[in-house]
Amino acid sequence: MSQAATATTGTVLGPIRRPRRGLAALRGIQGFRRATQADDALVVLGVVVGRSSAIAAGAPGGTVTSGEALCPFGGLETIGTFLAMGGYVPHVHLSNVVLAVAALLVAFFARGAFCGWICPLGFIQDLVAGLASFVRRRIPPVGRAMRALQRRAAPLRFVDRPLRLLKYVVLAWAVLGAAAYGTMVFRGVDPWNALLDLGRETAGLGLLVLGVVLVASLFVDRAWCRYACPLGAATGLVSRFSPVRLERVEAACSSCGACAKACPMGLPVATATMIVSQDCTGCLECVEACPRSGALELRAGLPVAPAITFLPRRAAGASGAADAGVAQS
Amino acid sequence: MRVKPIVFGALVIAIFFGTIGASMAAGAWQSTGRNSMTGVGGGEGPGSGGTSGSQRVAGSGVGSGDGAGAASVKGWMAIGDVADAAGVDVAEILAAFDLPADTQPSTPLKDLESDAFSVSALRTWLAERGGGPGGSPEDPRAAPSDTTP
Repeated sequence: MSQAATATTGTVLGPIRRPRRGLAALRGIQGFRRATQADDALVVLGVVVGRSSAIAAGAPGGTVTSGEALCPFGGLETIGTFLAMGGYVPHVHLSNVVLAVAALLVAFFARGAFCGWICPLGFIQDLVAGLASFVRRRIPPVGRAMRALQRRAAPLRFVDRPLRLLKYVVLAWAVLGAAAYGTMVFRGVDPWNALLDLGRETAGLGLLVLGVVLVASLFVDRAWCRYACPLGAATGLVSRFSPVRLERVEAACSSCGACAKACPMGLPVATATMIVSQDCTGCLECVEACPRSGALELRAGLPVAPAITFLPRRAAGASGAADAGVAQS
Repeated sequence: MRVKPIVFGALVIAIFFGTIGASMAAGAWQSTGRNSMTGVGGGEGPGSGGTSGSQRVAGSGVGSGDGAGAASVKGWMAIGDVADAAGVDVAEILAAFDLPADTQPSTPLKDLESDAFSVSALRTWLAERGGGPGGSPEDPRAAPSDTTP
């Protein structure tokens, strides 16, 4: 099943591990993660359906839990009002604040794992990306067309890094805007809120953003998380101080690049020694994809990660000589 | 120290849902507006306005008399409850916004919305009137802004 291998340099590599594919992959840690994501999504779906049923039965809207009450970002949006006046902006409840605290605690102890393990919008993007991957594999003409499209779009890759800054701008706008105006200025364009509000007239622009996100997810994994999610930006900043991180053990690594290829956030894992990027969602796809046992490991310990950098550094090449951005070599 | 992936996953779930469970156990979980309204005793959180003031929209902070009071007014609240909490007559609110004088006190604010009236307009009106609902003249916390130099 596994064997030791020796590189041309004479370094002893870790034993080869056959990566699980298809449904077999669900037996491992990814199955655990997918089950957690699906469970959270079903809870929210249950709340949304239950609310619709209750309102249809004549219950006043204010008496029934809404999906919005289960969004951690509402807790962050109300910070300004909370500190200034001791109250909440409209549509925010104490549950939002509790969930925001929970998400930030997860960020500290487990990096971006809220995004990778819990967030239903992330799960939906994963489903869309999985569907796209399935179609590419099963329908060759579609696969060829999408690969051709990706080749044509390759020159645009330079926008990836600056676009990742957008989520910090969105975070600042949403939090400061809510503090300044006393309302959730982000709510109108929030794709998650639009999804919860499907069929209601308030969804408008948010539905458009949701549509763009879902279409983008066909081509770019976790497009919303990479570029625009303000909650991911906030948890990412906190995660920078987490004592938990992924480490690539060069001596055990064959530099095959499978980890970087598997990363839904497009982080250059294969050329790093320590993955401390704010963009890491803790999904462990890279660990699962790694064919060398012990080459990628989760570790905990001091010191915590170094200062915040808003952008992952570019991959330094196969040697992995200097890729301190997402990670440090 | 090496962390096994399964331990990492369990940690994520334990922290996230543990925090929610702890808040529920401590009575600090509130996911609907109505919970605020019926939360007699007020202490669910900021803006609750304490325990006094039986005429407040209990626990919602509407009667808090501080800046949070106005912000606590919600569309689902009945105009009569808000008026009671704010210490004003329903008729005064109706007159201020040119609403029909025969409006029932049990009517939710959102059902009254029109070009002339909105929940946010009522919040502004209440805040300007006395530093927020709950601003009965004898309540020094709710002193009108014009008493401030």
